[in-house]
Amino acid sequence: MTNIKVLGVMIGTLAVYTWIANAIPQIESAVPEEVSFSADVSPAELVAAGAELYSGGGGCTTCHGLETRAPNLLTDYNGEGTIGQRCGTRVSGQDCKTYLHESMMDPAGYVLEGFEPMVFQARVLSGAQIWSLVAFLQDQGGVVTVSGSDVATAAEADAAAPAGGPMVASNDPLEIMRGNLCLGCHMLDGEGAELGPAFDGMGSRIATDRIRTGIIDPALEIAEGFDHLAGSMPPNLGDMLTARQLEVLVDFLAGQGG
Amino acid sequence: MPKISRRAEWSWLQASLPVAIVVAIGLIAIAIEPLAAQGYTPREYGDFPVIGSRAAIWIAAQLHLFFAAFVLGVPMFAVVAEAIGIFSSDDRYDKLAKEFTRLLLVSYSATAIWGAILVFGLITLYPGLWGYLSEIFAPSMWVYVGIFFFESFTLYLYYYGWDRWKKGRAKWGHWGLGILLNLWGTAVMLIANSWLTYMMSPPAEVTPDTAPGMVQFWSAFANATWMPINIHRLIANVVFGGAIVGAYAAYRFLSAKTDEERAHYDWMGYIGNFIAISALIVLPFAGYWLGREIYEFNQQMGTTMMGGFMSWLWVVQAFLIAVLFLAGNYYLWVGMGRIPGAERFMPYTKWMLLVLLIGAAVWATPRNMIADRAEITAMGGQFHPFLGVLGVMSAKNTAVNFMILTTFLSFLLYRRANKKAVVSWEKTGTTIQGALFAVSAAVVLFYGIYGYFVPSIVRIGFSVYQVLAVIAAIILVVVIDVFMMRGAESRGEIRWGEMPERSQYALFILAVTFTWLMGLMGFARSGIRQHWHVFEVIRDTSVDAATPALGYASIVISACVLIFLSLVTFIFWVGGLAEKPVISGTAVGATASASADGD
Repeated sequence: MTNIKVLGVMIGTLAVYTWIANAIPQIESAVPEEVSFSADVSPAELVAAGAELYSGGGGCTTCHGLETRAPNLLTDYNGEGTIGQRCGTRVSGQDCKTYLHESMMDPAGYVLEGFEPMVFQARVLSGAQIWSLVAFLQDQGGVVTVSGSDVATAAEADAAAPAGGPMVASNDPLEIMRGNLCLGCHMLDGEGAELGPAFDGMGSRIATDRIRTGIIDPALEIAEGFDHLAGSMPPNLGDMLTARQLEVLVDFLAGQGG
Repeated sequence: MPKISRRAEWSWLQASLPVAIVVAIGLIAIAIEPLAAQGYTPREYGDFPVIGSRAAIWIAAQLHLFFAAFVLGVPMFAVVAEAIGIFSSDDRYDKLAKEFTRLLLVSYSATAIWGAILVFGLITLYPGLWGYLSEIFAPSMWVYVGIFFFESFTLYLYYYGWDRWKKGRAKWGHWGLGILLNLWGTAVMLIANSWLTYMMSPPAEVTPDTAPGMVQFWSAFANATWMPINIHRLIANVVFGGAIVGAYAAYRFLSAKTDEERAHYDWMGYIGNFIAISALIVLPFAGYWLGREIYEFNQQMGTTMMGGFMSWLWVVQAFLIAVLFLAGNYYLWVGMGRIPGAERFMPYTKWMLLVLLIGAAVWATPRNMIADRAEITAMGGQFHPFLGVLGVMSAKNTAVNFMILTTFLSFLLYRRANKKAVVSWEKTGTTIQGALFAVSAAVVLFYGIYGYFVPSIVRIGFSVYQVLAVIAAIILVVVIDVFMMRGAESRGEIRWGEMPERSQYALFILAVTFTWLMGLMGFARSGIRQHWHVFEVIRDTSVDAATPALGYASIVISACVLIFLSLVTFIFWVGGLAEKPVISGTAVGATASASADGD
């Protein structure tokens, strides 16, 4: 009898835990699908692909589903409606499609007041995937204007881009910084954002070797006072620069005196 | 307590099984490498029938880990028990340590067998990933095999030398073997942890284009989450060992034929519960550190863990930890029924229960969750107007610290139940202890409320103050208590064995819950890699690349726990076959007297 009671308690406990885990909302983390469309893709197909990406492998809901790190895009925000309703009025002169696309390509430039910048890894998505996301977000209360030609143009650009190579071909330090979105977080001579340590005067504050290490391995040492931004700088930045570009950048920053 | 002598019969052939298995795995695994060097390219994935490759590897890894935690946790338990026996000259502790060391021998075999299943599973089902990892970690794999060899033979010496090296300096030497056994075991764990944490947090310089041969060994070995996982697992193994010991004692208590046996296993159950809950109290602090390191390694990974598709997992985790606290405290409160003098504390238990229930409810309140438009509309906003306030970390940290303080209070009352202090400053000491509790609770509450009015980055730092206040109170109260209870008068002996049966089921629930919790946390740690074998380096392109929902995970976890507990029961049964308990009637009175301290 004791054995049966003990077995009953054990199996009963396991059954309760299993039941609870199955009773709560079931959310699977899907793998981002590679999206490949021809120029005659329909808006419905784009929206469907974007929806899957948004709630699955794109990882969008990681921040946008919480409202603590980024606004919820699927619900009303400050009485302005859902994202499809409010996207066209966000930036003067930018229509909804342009606004959504630009904010994904340059997220640091579109941070809403009251929120901290999050690193959106647009580079891990293809151009077609980005456009499918735009279409899906437009569909949230707005009109889908993304067309097959947008996707086709993006696909051509993807194909033309050197796989795994540098983001820009130039060896000009400013071009390198702009091309790699460094100025999305760092300020230089009035240009950029004041999120990370300013590039102005960096050479007088930080040793050359430390600047180099900071680019190649940004997590190794976080600048004092910027702990809360740890993890924001792309860890693979060193792989997106040629050896010459890296040295040009290091020399340039080391030369920024007080 | 009864004096129980045991006679164990184990052949060296049987005892050598785990070493043979591990050496064989090492030879086969390393032998595969030259094939790759000759130009042979292994297929990326294999197939496993019915349940699929992912579930097969998951089950093998989880069961290997359960047994590994058992064979790491129990030696810690044994060596501490042996030390208490040496210092207190209380023979019960020595016998307790030996009883569990005997079970280790079979458990080592089970650990090695599941390790073999795991390695063969990786080689046949995930050959690409295995080849990648073995190319980076080959030297540590050789060292791992070597240390396991030494660990096993240290265990043989430790167990078989128990009766030979029983007195004087030889006993100290024997205890040293126990320490050595723990050092080997910890080293093995540190090495294995480096492999799995590398998959989770590879160094920043490693990219998808980095050839495994170019990855710096030490950089990969001592990666960002390696040390936090080491500490977290070390503490968790102690909790696990204590919980399993408690369940073993509970089973033996329920099936005991004599009062002496019941008394012995009642006492053992108390010790197991004491160790499990004591270590559980510090486990959340190690968890905070691990979480912080994950955030620092990759903010997106941290957010996925706490607020993304895993947000509901933490609600389930809170429920499980609440069960652990409630079951542990319930066991103590019921146990106070067999302690003369405990009646004076019993009226407080209902208030402590109330604090624990409120704490559990707050901790289990979700805030960050993925909701669709209909659900948000029904709720009247992204957050529930009332529950949303309780779902933030300020409230949760406050709740868990109150639960820890309450549990500590339960232990303190239990410890003091049958004692009457004789020191002149008893009243002052008790007042200071009460004040320490009050100050600690006030600090926790203050920062809990203040946290609502500061930015999140400041709020995170407040949890450190709360933790420090609780730890400081615990340490100071214990120090005062130890001095205050020196030479204390006894209000009566603890009536070991006079424990209601229902209390023993609380020990079973503790063991099952902690085992299940380990499985759940394993899923969380592994699942935050999402569709990556090695995060953002080696992509999972298999059919099982998507990370499953919690419902599916819970079924796998429950299956693992059931298999593990069945095998452990078998091991305990096998262990029982080898023993012939001889109750020494003369020892009963002596041990009962010695046990009056209750600790």
